[in-house]
Amino acid sequence: MAALWDTTGTEVVRELAAARRSDGVTSGLVLTLVAVVDEQPGQTTPVKAVEDAATVAAAAHPCRLLVVTRSPAHEAPDRLDAEVVVGGRLGPCEAVIMRMQGRLALHAESVVMPLLAPDVPVVAWWHGPPPPQLGTDPLGVVAERRITDCAQADDPVAALRQRAVDYHAGDTDLSWTRLTGWRTLVAGAFDQVDEGTVVQRASVAAPANDASGALLAGWLAARLGITPELTDPGTGRVESVRLGLANGDEITIVREGSSARLHQPGQEDRVMPLLERTLGEELAEELRRLDADQTYAAALSAATGVSGLERRPATRVHTWVDPAEVAVGTVGHHEVMM
Amino acid sequence: MSPVNPLRDPQDRRLPRIPEPCALVIFGVTGDLARKKLIPAVYDLANRGLLPPAFVVVGFARRDWDDATFARLAREAAQEHARTPWREEVWARLATGIRFVGGSFDDDVAFDRLDRTLEELRDTHGIQGNVAFYLSIPPASYPVVLKQLARTGMADNERCGGWRRVVVEKPFGHDLASARELNQLVDEVFTPADVFRIDHYLGKETVQNLLALRFANTLFYPVWNNRYVDSVQITMAEDVGIGTRAGFYDAAGAARDVLQNHLLQLLTLVAMEEPTSFDAEEIRYEKLKVLKAIKLPEDIATGTVRGQYRQGWVAGQRVAGYLDEKGVPPDSTTETYVAVRLGVQNRRWAGVPFYLRAGKRLPRRVTELAVIFKRAPHLPFHPTDVEMLGNNQLVIRVQPEEGVVLKFGSKVPGTTMEVRDIAMDFQYGEAFTEPSPEAYERLVRDVLIGDSTLFPHADEVEQSWRVIDPLQEAWAGTRPEPYRAGEWGPRGADELLARDGRVWRRA
Repeated sequence: MAALWDTTGTEVVRELAAARRSDGVTSGLVLTLVAVVDEQPGQTTPVKAVEDAATVAAAAHPCRLLVVTRSPAHEAPDRLDAEVVVGGRLGPCEAVIMRMQGRLALHAESVVMPLLAPDVPVVAWWHGPPPPQLGTDPLGVVAERRITDCAQADDPVAALRQRAVDYHAGDTDLSWTRLTGWRTLVAGAFDQVDEGTVVQRASVAAPANDASGALLAGWLAARLGITPELTDPGTGRVESVRLGLANGDEITIVREGSSARLHQPGQEDRVMPLLERTLGEELAEELRRLDADQTYAAALSAATGVSGLERRPATRVHTWVDPAEVAVGTVGHHEVMM
Repeated sequence: MSPVNPLRDPQDRRLPRIPEPCALVIFGVTGDLARKKLIPAVYDLANRGLLPPAFVVVGFARRDWDDATFARLAREAAQEHARTPWREEVWARLATGIRFVGGSFDDDVAFDRLDRTLEELRDTHGIQGNVAFYLSIPPASYPVVLKQLARTGMADNERCGGWRRVVVEKPFGHDLASARELNQLVDEVFTPADVFRIDHYLGKETVQNLLALRFANTLFYPVWNNRYVDSVQITMAEDVGIGTRAGFYDAAGAARDVLQNHLLQLLTLVAMEEPTSFDAEEIRYEKLKVLKAIKLPEDIATGTVRGQYRQGWVAGQRVAGYLDEKGVPPDSTTETYVAVRLGVQNRRWAGVPFYLRAGKRLPRRVTELAVIFKRAPHLPFHPTDVEMLGNNQLVIRVQPEEGVVLKFGSKVPGTTMEVRDIAMDFQYGEAFTEPSPEAYERLVRDVLIGDSTLFPHADEVEQSWRVIDPLQEAWAGTRPEPYRAGEWGPRGADELLARDGRVWRRA
């Protein structure tokens, strides 16, 4: 491990190479993960949470982790601090944790680009409220896969809608990843219904401001061609899914702590595991596939009413936004601000 | 059969494939395999959310147990041997579907009770008549149990209104005739497509990776033939002795125990042509072609080596010789080591020897496949510069540390032009540090889903015996060569390769 204070990008590259030589190399790197944890005024930087999650995810997908913390301030002098960790506390992950200040913070890619592992995919992950337009962040442009987390926005459902507006193939959101357990249960329940069964009604009990609940309803809508009803259970998370069949029967899946009770007509109720996963495990699922997630795009489209997502290109083009303008409130070409 | 589910989309690769509602009946549930592998594998599958909502485990053994006793013992076994973390709620859910039926294999009443239990479970647990029977019992008991299953109609798909599958463990017979007899019996009781023969080696990650390595890359395909390959070495070394298996082992020997199944299966995966698709049927077809093309040494006496370990030291411990092991007759001529030089008669492999060896009480536990390439036809270096340069090798390590090693020549840094071998080592535990699923976990799930890709078919088993039987005939009345426990086999094995101008890779 080496800490570099008030350093340069070149120095960081040199230190990473030296650390790889002396501390042992993670051979077989699968990808580079760029974690963006921009500081919010009045909040402590959640770099620790990012490190913990990346360590778990790296156990399944060995990666180079580049953590970028930016605090752009015009008055502040340009400054780069970096820490290089190879084969240390982050397990199989080799990491560079960087903090950038001043105008340098607007050009983070100039430090990050030379640190990307050669010829392996780049994944960008915003740990924090998603930026309205990923194309305005140069780190989002170099990445093939872009992971956001609408649950961290002030208004998650509005943030989700903005994700649809701004969608490009290769985007995903952790509020979708968190649904895999639910979706497995619902699809599993549906494996056992008879041929030709038609679902007429569906209802999802999830908080009105929950992005995962909206996506779950969107997924059912996209797959079954119905419009599920959303009801707020008042508990702050997804609680149940009910599917009304044409013959009047109902399939219900209701959360009971860390399990779910599955009720199907003509069968005894069963209790299935419904696991709460850690951020690291969710991230590991995200990194499993690096191609576009069409099922997510369809669910996102149905959840937000924004159409044509499947025709969006997979590459992003950088849009320059002058931070000075944003600071004084001129929104420019942003379609929706949160 | 399950209709098309609108919530399942082939593009949606996050959702795991989950078997239909079913029951797993384990015969011989008190045995080591059930305790150490099967029950833990069931727990691990449940913990990963890979079992259907309606799932039942039924244990069958000659014990006077009730469901609760069995559930308690199963819990202990799962807790001790499971690979995933222990979660009480997962077990609690599994435990609601645990049943026990006691009785001996010739007890008609017990099997009638088993049949009734399964019928009841259809209503109470919604298993829809789907049952997999796992025969975790000595092969001698197979006929009795199979006949019971036939008599009660439990093996009949139509009568049961669901699928009925059977899982058999190796050994699949002890020669061609007995394997045929066994195959006929299981295929008669069940339909051939419902018979799953477990060779747990095929469930290992690296073995499956061999197919990916060969058929997903362009790098290796062009050199995978007799123009570039000098020879292939397949090694399965164990440091342990025969343990408590004296009775079985002394009657079988290394050739029947592992050469017939594991080693020949590995050989087919190295040598097979590209299947037209990754369909079970297509892969089986290609593997069968290789088995049929296997050529035995012309003179079996000089083309094979049998060995038997004597007293020696393994891993810092003094160990007894084979003849001194408990339960082994003092004049036993059973081999604990076997090495054989085979050929594969087709255009791709003509002239390339396949050296297979397997043994007990060798220096360490390792299973690997080494493809050894020819040396460059011309080396534009001074002979002394390339003295340290050997053959290029591609080694697929199956266990213990699953991985791939590529060995090639590289210049030694310095002012002189000196070339020596270096090994580029890819370890699964490093590139993918998440522990790979246990072979049994993968295979049990495949049985429940009905995917037979990783299970040898009856034809393959019979064809393998056609390779082994002539060896056994030629070996009759001969004595295996002695080797000291802790050595890499008898001297004859080294001489076998030395005659061809080769040496064994130190695995």
